[in-house]
Amino acid sequence: MEKAIIGLAAAICVAAGCITGKYEGKVAIAAVESIGKNPDAAPQIRSMAILGAAISETCAIYCLLIALLLLFAYKI
Amino acid sequence: MKLQTTVVSIVFVTAFISLLLILINRKLRKFDPLSEPKGIVLAAIMGVQTIDKMVKDNTNDKVAKFLTPYMLMTITYIFLSNISGLFSLESPTSNYSVTLTLAFLTCVLIEVFSIKENGLRSYIHGLFEPFFPFVVMNLISRVSTLLSLSMRLFGNIIAGSILMSIIYQLFGFISAQIPIVGQFNIVAVLIAPALHFYFDLFAGAMQAYVFTVLTISFIGKELPQKEN
Repeated sequence: MEKAIIGLAAAICVAAGCITGKYEGKVAIAAVESIGKNPDAAPQIRSMAILGAAISETCAIYCLLIALLLLFAYKI
Repeated sequence: MKLQTTVVSIVFVTAFISLLLILINRKLRKFDPLSEPKGIVLAAIMGVQTIDKMVKDNTNDKVAKFLTPYMLMTITYIFLSNISGLFSLESPTSNYSVTLTLAFLTCVLIEVFSIKENGLRSYIHGLFEPFFPFVVMNLISRVSTLLSLSMRLFGNIIAGSILMSIIYQLFGFISAQIPIVGQFNIVAVLIAPALHFYFDLFAGAMQAYVFTVLTISFIGKELPQKEN
């Protein structure tokens, strides 16, 4: 029973990280649109887009970290 | 002592990179600067130019002189580690110690360049921005760089390798239902290359690039702003 609850907690942690997927997509959309408007600035926009996506991905990574910690700390 | 499987692939990848560098060195010594570069020499020159431009866009020339060789080595090592799943090795980056070491080096470089370029006085002053109790927040943000950089690389690569092993088991199960040729795992031969392309090549190259870009821009953020 305890193991089931811990497994569920880890699953909820990963599910919270899934929201990141949607908003990283938004970063990509914004980058594509601005490259379409201003093709000369493509290198700067590319590095800014990757930086923004990577920093917003940090949330999902912490979710993964917590899930892994839950799984390994309780040895499921 | 129990040996981890990734240790073997770390040795392989390091030996491969060393051989590659020796080969490039031999070729470059014979290379005539006035002639047209081709083959491995051209690839080496293009790689150096790309990383050099990337570093110089974000930092100043003095830092770039030290940072470019390190970044080139890091991107080569991470890329080759990530695609080593294609050669039936276990990726070194699916071991958390390796990614933690790489991220730790990034953190040390951030602090070193920050002290070197801003001076020790303004570095310590920066810890207490905007007022004194925020020293806790500033220290936590330094540790979070370490955690997020290492977990990003580790999480992506381990997720890919776990998924591939599950998918191979699934394909084995499906092709066992086919009579006569079923033992050969024929479904995996047909479908697995596309998945290997995504999980090993694409995600591997992407993560190597992201790690490099993030390291460069984290270091560039700490430097004093240059006037254009």
